[in-house]
Amino acid sequence: MKVAVVVQRYGQAINGGAELHARYIAEHLARHAQVEVWTTCATDYVTWRNELKSGEERVNNVPVRRFPVKHERDPLTFGRLSEKVFHRTHSVADELDWLEAEGPTSPGLVSHITKHAGEFDFCIFFSYRYYHAFHGARAAGTKAILVPTAERDPAAGLSIFAPIFRGVRALMYNSPEERAMIQGIAGNAHVPSVVVGVGSEIPANPQPQRFRQKHNIRGPFAVYVGRIDENKGCRELFSHFNAYLRDRVGKLTLVLIGTSILDIPVHPRIRHLGFLDDADKFDAIAASELLIMPSFFESLSMVALEAWALGKPVLANAKCDVLKGQCIRSNAGLYYESATEFAETLRAIEFNKWIAGTLGKNGRQYYRDNYDWPVVERKYLDMLQRLSYGTAPDGFEPLPGWMDRRKATCPPAAEVVAAAPGGPSSAPEMTVPRPMGPVSPPLPTRPQAATERSRPVAPPRSTQPSAGRRPQGRSRRSGQGAGAGR
Amino acid sequence: MPDFNVRSDAVNVEQIMEQIRSRIREKRGADYTEAQIQELASVKLEKFLDPRGVRSDLLEQFRRTQPPYAPPELPNFAFEDQTLFESTRGPLRFMRKLLLPILKLFFNPNPLIQALNIQSTLNASAAEREAKRDAARYAFDQLHYEVMHNLVLETTRLGIDVKNVKMRLESLASRLEFNERRARALESVVVYKPADEGKPEGRREETRREDGRREDTRREENRRDEPRRDDSRRQERQERRAAEQQSRPAPPPAAPAIAPAPAVLVVAAVPDVTAADAADGTPSQVGAPTDGPGQRSRRRRRRRGRRGSGSAAALMAGGQPSDATADGDGGSDDEGEMDESTPDQLAAAAGSDAAAEPAAPPAPVAAPREPSEPEQPQADPAATPEP
Repeated sequence: MKVAVVVQRYGQAINGGAELHARYIAEHLARHAQVEVWTTCATDYVTWRNELKSGEERVNNVPVRRFPVKHERDPLTFGRLSEKVFHRTHSVADELDWLEAEGPTSPGLVSHITKHAGEFDFCIFFSYRYYHAFHGARAAGTKAILVPTAERDPAAGLSIFAPIFRGVRALMYNSPEERAMIQGIAGNAHVPSVVVGVGSEIPANPQPQRFRQKHNIRGPFAVYVGRIDENKGCRELFSHFNAYLRDRVGKLTLVLIGTSILDIPVHPRIRHLGFLDDADKFDAIAASELLIMPSFFESLSMVALEAWALGKPVLANAKCDVLKGQCIRSNAGLYYESATEFAETLRAIEFNKWIAGTLGKNGRQYYRDNYDWPVVERKYLDMLQRLSYGTAPDGFEPLPGWMDRRKATCPPAAEVVAAAPGGPSSAPEMTVPRPMGPVSPPLPTRPQAATERSRPVAPPRSTQPSAGRRPQGRSRRSGQGAGAGR
Repeated sequence: MPDFNVRSDAVNVEQIMEQIRSRIREKRGADYTEAQIQELASVKLEKFLDPRGVRSDLLEQFRRTQPPYAPPELPNFAFEDQTLFESTRGPLRFMRKLLLPILKLFFNPNPLIQALNIQSTLNASAAEREAKRDAARYAFDQLHYEVMHNLVLETTRLGIDVKNVKMRLESLASRLEFNERRARALESVVVYKPADEGKPEGRREETRREDGRREDTRREENRRDEPRRDDSRRQERQERRAAEQQSRPAPPPAAPAIAPAPAVLVVAAVPDVTAADAADGTPSQVGAPTDGPGQRSRRRRRRRGRRGSGSAAALMAGGQPSDATADGDGGSDDEGEMDESTPDQLAAAAGSDAAAEPAAPPAPVAAPREPSEPEQPQADPAATPEP
């Protein structure tokens, strides 16, 4: 089976959520199928400047083909168009202009998809809201699978995306909340879908003491990992944490890990360590009492999953439905809506060790049941198998004609999203049983897919190595056969 | 740090959050989220809901600011078939009419005339329709404002009611708490004496008297042992009171409106006053509280015991009219004591006994109790005449 992964940016140094998600999926699917990545030459998601060479290269043994971006993003134009399509009645042409302004506009990538999609069984597109996903999915036709990574932001309410959600072969959601929102907006319940998410490369033996010594951190602390940005809820976090400090009851220090584009309050108990590598990040989480996730919009927080994988409780912003839903479903985290709740929940975790311990234990189990790589791989492979046996639907609805595109009939996107169903979902996410071992049945090859109608049988269990073990360290042996190294 | 009730490995995050929120509610008193608070804060009508800020003449003020509706004069024109060729000058009008066929050789003005005529008619009808609509909207505005005015009044009334109910609730809660504390204190004080049960009534009476005497003797000894550090202050205060009493007009000799108390009650009340005077060596400060409510209650119980005539209820059962001088069941101890020691009542009840006191103060019943006032020396129980 040949699978193309299409994403806006790709590389080892790129740490954006959707991009990292795409890389992990590409590298893990590469163990079961022939995977190729199609992406742009950009590394900066704000400007989309061409910073990498176009052409082919290999990243962790996965072939990557890069295409140049036609023009950089003009923030003023993009801002003006965003204001128009999000908050005013507008036309389809306005939305297409917005998409063009948002970028990364890469006609070369789209034309490559048009030419070569037929050579692949499926094209998996990441992040519905970018140029490559909209035009690329249309170019790929019935081979398009979408990983929307949709947050509850106004872009999801744009009318141009609803036909995409309805026309792709399948959708791989990150959370039940994301699925409910997209199905509410696009009415695409008939499209095959599964809530998958993504795993992470959790180290087997993190070194919390090493982190404390290296960064001279003493005493208990709560950690935040991610970009320190107002959009991520960090300003509110600082305000709430200052209120917590004023009470003088708690002893926690706030440790911030990540690049900051926001002024950080000066206080001896607020420490900013800047950007750290993965080893330090995991050591920091392992050394912490809890992880704080103040973000308002998330389709899936990988850091929260990593904290749970390391047995640490999470304190999340209840305004984010996804995080709140995950806390409730996992019983592994608390959430806050106000400064008072923030302080109380923080103290509850700080002073009740049994609560922190039990939440962490639940988190570890939740990660293992839902986001460990065998589970994620199994869900992807099952979906690919299911689609390869099924018949392709009609494809995408055509875009309106020249005149109709210019009629201002589209409602403000923010209103559309506001009307979509919200709130955390309490239904369990697990739709497939956890595989006993990391070995997955082989994917069908293309000719077999047309003739064979029965599912391949899993190899006998005696051949399976240590059942249920997580990957050790971060050594990736991409391109190996089924089950190799797992 | 408060503990949680969830004592199981199977923690329920929602349950923990509920406990945390209920604790916040207890602290803060209201279950508002930040969003709700923001929403409430942004309500413009809030200023009307303040009962002190509401204007009863809201509607009148509105009407005053809104002048009566008059339809606006919209510009329009009249256009008939001859309008184009009209002129005030006769020759010019004649020439135009003469040359009209030539003009019609170049173009046909009739459609133009027709269109402008129709436009004029349309303008007139649109203006009329607009005027009607404006009038209707004006009337609706008045109606809406009236409705809003009534709503504001009702909401304000409800707000006041809510405040009253809240205050009553607080008052009831505090009274309940006080009563609970009092009940607990009484339960801890009362000692059950089974030995008294087998004794006859007379013997029990004697025992009670003996207990009372013993207790008084003990209290007297304690008092003697007390250091006399407050003597000078007390003396000053007494002098000041005496000066105040002298400056006040003397009470009328005749008893006021209070009905005369029974002789038994007078006997029960008067010795206390006189004994206090005798012990203090000063005129009796009848209305001023002299000791704590607990002591007074004990003394009252003791007196009842000595009298052997039963409680005030028993006295009242004998058809005595004044329960103010009896042991007040309905009020608090302080109130009962004050009523008991009102000199007017005593004078009225005892006739010449209380009135014969030369320096009896003129009923300082309403004098507030000073919390820091030291205890007055109590009456010597030995000086109290036995009933």
